[in-house]
Amino acid sequence: MDFDFNSLLAFIIFGVTIGVVYGIVALGISLIYSGLDIVHFAHGEIYMFGAFIGLFFSQVIGVPYPFAIIGAMIFAALLGMFIERVFYRRLTQAGGGYTVAGMGMIICGFGMSVALMNVAYLIWGAAAEPFPVDLGMPLQLGDISIPQSYVLTAVVSMLLMVVLNYFIRNTKLGLAVRAVAHNKDIAYLMGINVPLVISLIFGLGCALAAAAGVLIGPMQSVQVEMGYLMLMKAFAAAVVGGFGSLPGALIGGILVGIFENLGAAYISPSHKDIYAFLLLILVLIFRPSGLFGVIAKVKA
Amino acid sequence: MLKIKELHAGYGRLKILRGISLDVSQGTIVALLGGNGTGKSTLLKTISGLLPVMDGSIEFDEKDITNSKPHHIVRSGLVQVTQSKEAYPAMTVEENLMLGAFTRSDKAEIKYDLEGVYSFFPVLKDRRNMLSGTLSGGEVQMLVTGRGLMAKPKMLMLDEPSAALAPKVVLEIFANIYKISQTGVTILLVEQNVRMALLLAQYAYIIRDGHIMIEGKSEELINDPAIKEFFLGGTVTDTSKGLNA
Repeated sequence: MDFDFNSLLAFIIFGVTIGVVYGIVALGISLIYSGLDIVHFAHGEIYMFGAFIGLFFSQVIGVPYPFAIIGAMIFAALLGMFIERVFYRRLTQAGGGYTVAGMGMIICGFGMSVALMNVAYLIWGAAAEPFPVDLGMPLQLGDISIPQSYVLTAVVSMLLMVVLNYFIRNTKLGLAVRAVAHNKDIAYLMGINVPLVISLIFGLGCALAAAAGVLIGPMQSVQVEMGYLMLMKAFAAAVVGGFGSLPGALIGGILVGIFENLGAAYISPSHKDIYAFLLLILVLIFRPSGLFGVIAKVKA
Repeated sequence: MLKIKELHAGYGRLKILRGISLDVSQGTIVALLGGNGTGKSTLLKTISGLLPVMDGSIEFDEKDITNSKPHHIVRSGLVQVTQSKEAYPAMTVEENLMLGAFTRSDKAEIKYDLEGVYSFFPVLKDRRNMLSGTLSGGEVQMLVTGRGLMAKPKMLMLDEPSAALAPKVVLEIFANIYKISQTGVTILLVEQNVRMALLLAQYAYIIRDGHIMIEGKSEELINDPAIKEFFLGGTVTDTSKGLNA
């Protein structure tokens, strides 16, 4: 195969675009991890629910696409807070993270994943639904043409990251989120309503996943089983970037996206999904704490 | 101001405090003394609401706060300053201080109080934009004390402010505590540094094995031979006497 610089550039651009989506799902996982000391294994299903809700808003109700994203985010946040309050709270109260109760938390996450998937089967069935969104002609960038959905995805994801970062770094509530993430007892002593902030963190993480679902929808199609692979990729992204590190999650996502696209383009397209985990294994061998592992140690 | 009656508390089923009664009247400094593992920190955590009360009652500012939520207790003006290692290392000094004012929304006054804390601890002003993880032990102690003041407390509970600090720094810390109490803040001082604490406080409780062993006015306790022997191990002959007993 002749080397063609333009197609390499195109693969990288597509890789980055899909990568920022992995990044925002990973961001949610990382946020929940640093806030609650749990790895949320049902996050892929929240992403799937987000995609279906977005589809519902956009196709059935007929609201414009950007509002479908916002609607899905709000709904997923409420769903997440409900799940956290009703199911996870009992377990995290017994101690999350590395304790025996934390093990129960992992099992509970998997159970929630299965339960949510089956609820989705009941509501939407097993068939893949197309998510047609008319965004106009592809963007021409030299010889490369980029579909508008990719452009929108990159823009919206970046916007979400910037807003989240501003919220965490510069607002009073963001300060509380960081305090709760680092040490809940001290956060209590500062007068912070810790359970409420935990709900907020969980809702925020789920809203990010839902946004990713609605963004990916038009590129692929929406189906009940879509969450599983996304969870795995986002997980890989979070680990590559350094678990618990927010900038790490984004960079990890972009790396996974590029790696996967280049692998599919130059090695073998039929094994597209393997490359993310290849990268994961490489990072774990050479830098087990992830690329931003040092930052990950001082959480958030 | 703070009234504790027959308090029983602990972790899970493990009972640490077995009937503590303690009184702190407004505007005073009261010391709570005792060695490691006697229940001092457990008592503070229970008062702050981090641990459940098994039996007994806690009253603050004429309101019952037994088993209140920790953030409600902070809002009522009872603020705990934790041991020095527990600042937020990944936050800047100023962020830590602002976190102390989390319960307040009076922006102008918060700013005024922030300047107050800075004039109290000028070192913190120099280091305001540094991560608190880079501060020295004494500076972190100033930071957590300042953070406590930012909540505009009626009463401060200080958990071993002199722990693991150089003697010169300890003097400075205690001088600061005295200054804070002069501004009208009631103080419960938990300490292992018995001599310093007794010099500063008006009244003291000595805790051992989860109950109050001795209590009394500081000037009486400081000359009490039993206290001397209990905390300092007496003389060498006394120590050997203790070993044979």
